[in-house]
Amino acid sequence: MNLLESIGAGARDMSTHKGRAVITIIGIVLGTASVVAVLALMRGGEQQTKDFFDEMGGLREIRITNEHSHSITQTAAERASERLTYRDAQAIRRDCPSVLTVDPEITRYFDVSYGDRTFSMKLLGTNRDYPFADNMPVAEGRFITDKDCENFANVVMMGPTYKEDLFGDEDAIGKTITVRGVPFEVVGIMQKKEFYFEGSGGRERNVLEWFNRSHYIPITTMIRRFTVNDRLDGLEISALSVEAVPALMEEANRVLLRRHGVLDFNVEAKSEQIQQRNEQEAFFNIVFWAVAFVSLFVGGVVIANIMLASITERIREIGVRKAIGASGRDLFIQFLVEAVVVTAAGGALGLLLGLGMVTVTDKVLNMPTAVTAGILIIAFSCSVAVGVIFGLFPALRAARLDPVEALRYE
Amino acid sequence: MLIRTENLTKSYDLGAVEVRALRGVTLGIEEGEYVAIMGPSGSGKSTLMHIIGCLDTPSTGRYVLNGAEVSELKGRALARVRNKEIGFVFQNFNLLPRVDLVANVSLPLVYHGGIARGARREQAVKALEAVGLTHRLKHRPNELSGGERQRASIARALVNEPSILLADEPTGNLDQKTGREIMAILDELSKEGKTVIVVTHDSNVAAHARRIVEIEDGVIAREGRA
Repeated sequence: MNLLESIGAGARDMSTHKGRAVITIIGIVLGTASVVAVLALMRGGEQQTKDFFDEMGGLREIRITNEHSHSITQTAAERASERLTYRDAQAIRRDCPSVLTVDPEITRYFDVSYGDRTFSMKLLGTNRDYPFADNMPVAEGRFITDKDCENFANVVMMGPTYKEDLFGDEDAIGKTITVRGVPFEVVGIMQKKEFYFEGSGGRERNVLEWFNRSHYIPITTMIRRFTVNDRLDGLEISALSVEAVPALMEEANRVLLRRHGVLDFNVEAKSEQIQQRNEQEAFFNIVFWAVAFVSLFVGGVVIANIMLASITERIREIGVRKAIGASGRDLFIQFLVEAVVVTAAGGALGLLLGLGMVTVTDKVLNMPTAVTAGILIIAFSCSVAVGVIFGLFPALRAARLDPVEALRYE
Repeated sequence: MLIRTENLTKSYDLGAVEVRALRGVTLGIEEGEYVAIMGPSGSGKSTLMHIIGCLDTPSTGRYVLNGAEVSELKGRALARVRNKEIGFVFQNFNLLPRVDLVANVSLPLVYHGGIARGARREQAVKALEAVGLTHRLKHRPNELSGGERQRASIARALVNEPSILLADEPTGNLDQKTGREIMAILDELSKEGKTVIVVTHDSNVAAHARRIVEIEDGVIAREGRA
């Protein structure tokens, strides 16, 4: 009897024991469904994190921040350091070979007026690298250029929400607004930026709204007109490629350490932030995995148990099959196939249940999920593997039964 | 010679005691013979039947079946010999309860391998017709009388066209009239040239055979021809 026929015989035999099959199947259905749900949630979380950071700007970005001293008293070097300055940004642009963009930022809040409207609004001093670094397309007009920075030009690019506040539907390009009494020409308006995290407080809150509520002016103008020194509130740089990120981190560290004389800054890649977020999610994933694993394991034990019981019940049948020419191998395959047929059927039902669970989590609980073909294949393979692993021992027992003993069994 | 055994012994080691079920059986059976193996329970006749039927192997001695040495065979090889050469008829029929007669009777062909499903069914139906069960093809064993079940098991034993039909107390679970019907089928098969071996303790059954071998205490005590 060849393998194909053994499989056929095993499957046929299983169909003659439907009641037994149904009981056996339940654990596997739940286990497989859990695996689908777990993987879909994990994928969903990762995908959303990745989407978020893509929207924020690519994986090539490095954020440099001021690091505050941990000791109570400052050292002389710490006191002497000017912290992160616009000159640091220029030095990085000049001295780091792996750098693509340098985006220094200074933020201030001022009264901004157009006509008879006056609001306290945020102004962000930056340069042409800002939209590059933060992935912000222009809706109308243009962004700040290098020339604007060189000329200390009084030009402003508006976030879409602020444009609405000041101008409503009126055309803004070419108009003049005043910032603390200083006239600025509107040269551009940014596109609206949106990102809604599913699950966290519903779909209403745009977590990127702060991009839309900002005016953007040349950083040199900001420093000359509105600040007493050139200390930065933020500095983001990006590397020529994702692969060049570690090199750029090292170069930036070296340049800044030389200029500051002390390690009062922190250089961090955005990919590290993604990793941190994923690590936080990993904890929840462990819980899900444990549930899936326990369900599958319990399902497997139930299968082994029921199969052993069914073998005891069928000892005579095994004897008869051997007497008419079945080899141990034939019976081993028959019983293993029975186990796998049950678990595969359970796996298939489990996939459906799992997809249902995923839909419910997505729609009702608002949790991000992503189902891929890979997930379905993995979950189905798990169910088949359970059949093979837990069917092995009962099948081996059936194969090894002595035909004379088996025929004599009452 | 279809069956030739030389000095077959079989011992079971039960820890403290060693049970010697067979103590040197030398026996020859020609093709087409109709033989009864008789003996009280515990005589060793069942053990002899198991060895002849290739369900068991001797401790010492030789067994040549249809020109092939089978005393050394094990596992799969022995299973193939059982499948090709032996057709078993059991006292309690031993049909699979959950499938119909056609499926039961085709089972030896399944394990034979290489026979398509359609051809298997065809042969099974033919074998069932030969024992007069044409009207029962789709029935399960529990829907049949004892006599019908035993006829089905004869059909199963014959479907592979084995060299030997080996019947172990074939009338043991049947009333006298039905028992006679079953023995009539075996007589008919013998007349058609099939080698038939009946293992029994019932002398009325043994009387159908043309040769009687009596086993006592693990050896052949008497042999006679009808």
